[in-house]
Amino acid sequence: MSQTPDFVLFLGRFHPLVVHLPIGFLFFAFVLEIFGKKKKYENITVAIPLALMLGFLSALIACILGYMLSLSGDYDENMLDSHFWFGVFTTVLTLVAWLIRVDKIKLPNKNKLKANISALTVIVILLSVTGHYGGNLTHGSDYLTKYMPFNKKEEKVLVPVEKVEDAVVFDYLVAPILDAKCTSCHNESKKKGGLSLIDSLSIMKGGKGGEAVVVGSANKSEIVKRVLLDPHHEDFMPPEGKTPLTEEEIAVITYWINNAFAGFSNTVGAVKTPENITKIASNMLGLSAGAAKQASLKALPKIPDDVLKEIVAQGFRVSELVFNSNIYAVELPANTVTANNSSELKSKLETLAKIKDNILWLYLEDNQITDSYIDDINQFKNVQKLKLNKNNITDAGISKINLPQLEVLNLFGTKITKASLPVLANIKTLNKVYIWNTSISKEDIENTNLENDVPDFVLN
Amino acid sequence: MCDHHDILRSNNKDLQSVEKQIDRRHFLKKTSLGIGALALGSLLNTEKAWSSIGGADKAINSFTKNKLGLPHHLPKAKRIIYLFQSGGPSQLDLFDYKPKLVDMFGKDLPESVIGGQRLTGMSGSQSSLPVAPSLFKFKQYGESRAWVSEIMPHLSEVVDDLCFVKSMQTDQINHTPAVTFMQTGHQLPGRPSIGSWLSYGLGSDNENLPTFITLISKNGSGQPLKAGLWGNGFLPTEHQGVQFRSGKDPVLYLNNPDNYDGTDRKKMLDYLGKLNSIQHDAYGDPEIQSRMAQYEMAFRMQTSIPEVTDTSDEPDHVFEMYGKDSRDAGTYAANCLMARKLLEKGVKFVQLYHQGWDQHIGCPWGVKNKAKQTDQATAALIKDLKQRGMLDDTLVVWGGEFGRTVYSQGQLTEKNYGRDHHPKAFTMFMAGAGVKPGFTYGETDDFSYNVTKDPVHVHDFHATLLHLFGVDHERLTFKHQGRRYRLTDVHGHVVKDILT
Repeated sequence: MSQTPDFVLFLGRFHPLVVHLPIGFLFFAFVLEIFGKKKKYENITVAIPLALMLGFLSALIACILGYMLSLSGDYDENMLDSHFWFGVFTTVLTLVAWLIRVDKIKLPNKNKLKANISALTVIVILLSVTGHYGGNLTHGSDYLTKYMPFNKKEEKVLVPVEKVEDAVVFDYLVAPILDAKCTSCHNESKKKGGLSLIDSLSIMKGGKGGEAVVVGSANKSEIVKRVLLDPHHEDFMPPEGKTPLTEEEIAVITYWINNAFAGFSNTVGAVKTPENITKIASNMLGLSAGAAKQASLKALPKIPDDVLKEIVAQGFRVSELVFNSNIYAVELPANTVTANNSSELKSKLETLAKIKDNILWLYLEDNQITDSYIDDINQFKNVQKLKLNKNNITDAGISKINLPQLEVLNLFGTKITKASLPVLANIKTLNKVYIWNTSISKEDIENTNLENDVPDFVLN
Repeated sequence: MCDHHDILRSNNKDLQSVEKQIDRRHFLKKTSLGIGALALGSLLNTEKAWSSIGGADKAINSFTKNKLGLPHHLPKAKRIIYLFQSGGPSQLDLFDYKPKLVDMFGKDLPESVIGGQRLTGMSGSQSSLPVAPSLFKFKQYGESRAWVSEIMPHLSEVVDDLCFVKSMQTDQINHTPAVTFMQTGHQLPGRPSIGSWLSYGLGSDNENLPTFITLISKNGSGQPLKAGLWGNGFLPTEHQGVQFRSGKDPVLYLNNPDNYDGTDRKKMLDYLGKLNSIQHDAYGDPEIQSRMAQYEMAFRMQTSIPEVTDTSDEPDHVFEMYGKDSRDAGTYAANCLMARKLLEKGVKFVQLYHQGWDQHIGCPWGVKNKAKQTDQATAALIKDLKQRGMLDDTLVVWGGEFGRTVYSQGQLTEKNYGRDHHPKAFTMFMAGAGVKPGFTYGETDDFSYNVTKDPVHVHDFHATLLHLFGVDHERLTFKHQGRRYRLTDVHGHVVKDILT
């Protein structure tokens, strides 16, 4: 394909600008024609020929510029064809309408008005269609309908993975980056530089500048080369004004090309994955901090406001740990329950149990909790941090604790003794247990025969 | 214009008739700017400030349902105590051990180290810049083998809970801009402080107490502090830090006057609240809402403050741990103890200041004196938080606005030296929620003059701090004067290496 001169492309880029002139002129001509039918506005009809003529001339220029722009080859050919022919047809019809209006084409007087109106109606319709195709070419075919109400988006639904290793490198890691940063310009309808990054075929096909992806060598691959350029370089991608790729994103793409050999089906576990990539990947997949646990928590039910109100009314402080995640930290401020109203504790915990699965941090310090309430607390299966300090908890209570996710347990100022140490050591998920101000001493911990993998007992 | 008219028209029938009497000229004069700003504001600023008052549902306040879409990720920290050592503590005499300096005693600091940096007017004109090694002995402590100077004997006991950052850097070389930079992310006054951002973004954990409280050690000498350091900047006023007085009575006028039992105050405030909401309906000034929030807060503080600031019920061993100063209200030690109580009650941000770390002359004596005032209480606070399990979700930050020079300002003798301001390298430490315990990050050269590894800029520190609270520093913004602002402005990287 011969190279189009830069100057032609330069002019071509004025097409999106100039194209609005005929739209305005012709639509205005249509409006004039409609209004001109009324006696009151009769004299405005003298402007119609002028509007039509200007509409025709500007449409002609727009057509020429549009053709120049199309030579860049950045656009989807099918759609371009439609846009092209509709544009040409609109222009020709405009000429006809103008000729009718200025009587160059003789029609019986009776039909003239009808012909004018119908020609202009057709022009307006054609304009809309042409404009629509043009818009699709420039902005992508889903631009118009993206935010349309009730528009069910056909998104590829990825099943959430529990482990980073199970994630397909391309689908889970690379594709989201391309979608976020590249495909607005590199898609099937708008192929900037002849490149589309919408699916595996088009990616491997590459663009005009050569192979976008060179399997196994990222630094020869155009898509990596371009994003690593100096941001002021004219070939730098994404172009000025768009959000550049982050270091992590570049690392992921590099890893995909080098380690996953730009495959579309290999999983993270199946290829050689450096540690930093595992980290980035788990961040991207929302698996960091608590890894698989987090993922399973994602599906937690939303709590209705009424329920939250009810819980807050019971004296709990409730805060959502991550916005819209439906996971909560709940605190019963110390001394909300005292010896005087200890009978209320049961009903408070029962109310709280309405969101039992949603609680990750549960703080119940200094609130008259005794061993008999441990069963109630055991309902909160997802609790990771539990504060029971300054309550009347004894060894009997500790032996009843059954919380599969428990990581941090605060028991300072409780009535527990060293007999609880082996029991606590047996809760494998536990990392930290606070036992200051109990009868347990440093020697007790040292003298108790515990396995290696025990939680950190914090005394002081 | 009709829409605007509706906004400005009061809901109150009586007031409506008054408004109708306002003539057109008066109306335009009063509102020409306001009306535009109002309309523009409601168009552009979709982020609504926190408010648990003014018709909003009190049961579900900002805390339960965040209106700004925060936190962005799972937080590690729920609260923070920032022990600000104002004046610029000498990293060379406290934590950044430089044994090679002994051989360099009195020699001129090589130009290659200074690297063309512009020095202050205080020492820049000295005929020589003699290297002054620290007079104090350093030892390694704990399992983490962290170096600490002999003048911090208590802190050296808790090094395994600390995360030192030895490669801090700031842009500012003088106190006021440097402290302002450290506290607000910008060297010029007018930006919101860290605590205000957190209060604005995350709301209150205990509506009976301010979210953000400032404590200043009494009898502070040295560089002055100003309220802008804990100010709200352009954020709604209720997010400013509430400064407690250093002394027996941290908040004045909380007690009812003699012969007044206070029973009808709530009634009075309710009426006042109604009047203010009429005013707010009429003028839409957010400051009216802020004022209402402040009045209500003050009312609730009447009961909450005396309880939380009274440390007399603490057992003796606690006072012993914090040191004997802790019985003397308003000292650094007493403030540390009070800070723990405030944090326990759900105050999100306690900002503590201790002034006087500005040792231009008599550095050894001065640093030793300051260390003596703060060492025991700082260590005690960390121990106390740890044994209560609070260190798990409480972040402790210790640091000043910059470091000090390796060369002596003024005459260098065997027993004495002074140190000038030094922004290019200084040490801070953190402890608790989400930062690695027993860890040292960053390195400086043999002169503690330049950072040689892993620099941490003030913006990075801010980004990391917000990160620990579950906040993406790039996404907590506030639109003001036509653009969005954030604590880190256009800078800052989270220092992931110090996170657990």
